[in-house]
Amino acid sequence: MGRAVAVIGTGQTRHGRRDDVSYPDLIKEAVKAAFEDAGITSQDIDAVVYGSMPSMMEGVAYNHFYFADALRVVGKPLLRTETCGSTGQSIAHTGIYWIASGMADIILVVGSEKQHEGDAQATMTTIPEAFMHADFVGGAPVAFSMQSREWMGHFNIDEDKAREAAAIISVDCHDGGLKNPYAHIRVNITKEDAMKARIITYPVRLLDVCPSSDGACAVIFASEDKAKKICKKPAWVKGTGFRGEEYFSGDSSKAVWQSAIEASKEAYKQAGITDPLKELDVAEVYNPFTYQQLMFLECLGFCPPGESPDYVVKGVFSPGGKLFCNPSGGVLCTNPIGAAGLIRLAEAAMQVTGKAGAIQVEGAKLALSHAMGGALQFNGITILGSEL
Amino acid sequence: MQKVGIVEVAMTPGTESSLSLMEFTYKPVKEVLDKAGLRRDQVGTYVLASTDIMHSGMSCANAFDWDAAGAFMKPASREEGDGITAFIYGCMRIMSGRHDTALVVGLIKGSENAENDTITSCFADPFYSRPLGIQETTAAAMQMRLYLERYGITEEQCAKVVVKNLGNALFNPYAHIKKRVSVEDVLKSERICDPLKAMECAPKSDGVCAMLLASEEKARKLTNNPVWLKGWGSSMDTFYLGDRDLLDTQLKTAAVGAYKMAGISDPRKEIDVAEICEPYAFQELLWCEELGFCAQGQGGKLIDSGVTQIAGDLPVNPSGGVLATNPYVSRGLYRVAEAALQIRGEAGQHQLDKKVNTALACAGYGFAGQWHGVAILGN
Repeated sequence: MGRAVAVIGTGQTRHGRRDDVSYPDLIKEAVKAAFEDAGITSQDIDAVVYGSMPSMMEGVAYNHFYFADALRVVGKPLLRTETCGSTGQSIAHTGIYWIASGMADIILVVGSEKQHEGDAQATMTTIPEAFMHADFVGGAPVAFSMQSREWMGHFNIDEDKAREAAAIISVDCHDGGLKNPYAHIRVNITKEDAMKARIITYPVRLLDVCPSSDGACAVIFASEDKAKKICKKPAWVKGTGFRGEEYFSGDSSKAVWQSAIEASKEAYKQAGITDPLKELDVAEVYNPFTYQQLMFLECLGFCPPGESPDYVVKGVFSPGGKLFCNPSGGVLCTNPIGAAGLIRLAEAAMQVTGKAGAIQVEGAKLALSHAMGGALQFNGITILGSEL
Repeated sequence: MQKVGIVEVAMTPGTESSLSLMEFTYKPVKEVLDKAGLRRDQVGTYVLASTDIMHSGMSCANAFDWDAAGAFMKPASREEGDGITAFIYGCMRIMSGRHDTALVVGLIKGSENAENDTITSCFADPFYSRPLGIQETTAAAMQMRLYLERYGITEEQCAKVVVKNLGNALFNPYAHIKKRVSVEDVLKSERICDPLKAMECAPKSDGVCAMLLASEEKARKLTNNPVWLKGWGSSMDTFYLGDRDLLDTQLKTAAVGAYKMAGISDPRKEIDVAEICEPYAFQELLWCEELGFCAQGQGGKLIDSGVTQIAGDLPVNPSGGVLATNPYVSRGLYRVAEAALQIRGEAGQHQLDKKVNTALACAGYGFAGQWHGVAILGN
């Protein structure tokens, strides 16, 4: 599509409970880090894209007004894009399209959340329609648990095997979180801990669930010309995909998650990928719940439908496996919602440019980043590579 | 840069609708598709505009809006903000060369939301501004006071905007407020936030606007009468009112960008009609200055001269503008749609009695207009 686009800088806050900073200061922390990483200043950017969850969650509506200064957007164009949990990918796509269109050369994309200043689950109960829907699927754990059960039933997956696979994912992610300087949850856990943690909503246990985090992520995108001039080692956008499905959960099967399947197919087509398991070097898969990661491994084409637990138990997606998923610890360890999808992209960029430090996957050249949102409704993908 | 054309537009009236938000959204979307002779799945990409805070009590608005907008399993996104941002994002998606058609939808049912200012008070930061009672109307009142005092603009001149726009709205089938009023009526209406009078403030309307955009090649296939995007500019101001000169706004920056892209050097002469966003009457005068239609401080004289009347040289808001119809989120997209209809000669009873080659549509929101976007359209 259009002009080639690259990531030339990324910045993240230290994620967690950030009572030490105001919300605008949290944004500034990520923005400053991204400018330092790219080696440019706010004067060099043409425009800003911002997104978060419904911002009344943290008590300020249309908070891009409040953040105008922190976003360094005064006197410049701003677009605010929002698609629930998949916001992080959608804002990146807005930036990518903006540059590809020729209307801008360098764009700062920022996603954020300060969950400790509000109540995310209360907000999420207002996503389902109030009369027929909300009583059944209010809040994330309920929706995700129902989906997990539907998936196991649909493919006749042995519950114990799924349980073990989910625990392996939990251990891998928490190990990653310990090594990732930005991660929120830092605990050393064993497979037994994960399998015996207290039940939240069956079959989901405490260590299968993401935290509520404060945090922001900023990513700077540039056109081919600018990227080559400014950046020694840009991460090139190889493919993007985004799809959304029906609003009412009962209208379709969520065991075969069609928006994830179609969004990834579109991205693979653009990137020229035919066998993602073989061709990708690392993947940052949106995993607010471990069981959803199992499902995504199938929907993103890493393994056949219904077989992800077998692959996980064999270690295919663990450190040293064929396709290490979530070296950063993923959303399971760090979940500032509006930033979480963009953090996946930033981590993918860091991996293909060799900047991932302690969590670097040796020689990673092609990385997938992903986010999911809505009432099990939206999926967005961005694939980054070290070569144009 | 790839050319982008507006192929078709559809709007709902601004009056309270008895339809559910889903049906209300579906109707203009279907109308646009039918006019263009396309099926939902034949459209390349969708961009929605809605807002969580004015969305009939449901947040993550795109979740609910997805089905009725026709975006099921299509590449798509949503802008949280004025509908004009969905318009430009739709244009960008086409300019990227990846899609040849884009359907843009802006939607809101004001009748199912709280009062606009109950909501706009939540734009204020909770620590310094909100306890002062700042919301869009109180911020606008301060801006108006400054405007009257610095440039000697009179309250009569501001009231004339209401008389003109509501007069125009009488001929617009989509207008919400239809009422012939006099300057005296406006001046006598309740002072709700001094110096702002009740009739100088926009209503709270329902409104969905759907628009089909296409690449140059595709647009020529789909319609004999495409309207082209010629220019775009937008800009954001700083947050705290005390940090700004409320009469020196980012609309100026946005307009400069749009004029540069469109190759316009004398907007007053080159623009045939303007649809601008004036939730408060005096803002139409101030925005006309910022857009370069007259010199700074001359907005009052501009309305006195009759230039902006529907039969004038440079008609402003022949549709009746936001003072007549204010579907908060989609009002910017309504401006673009109205400007496009004028160029096509399809505005019906409020069609201008002259050839319209170039039209301006602009939108703004936030305290005293913190964000502005300007689009230039041409035939």
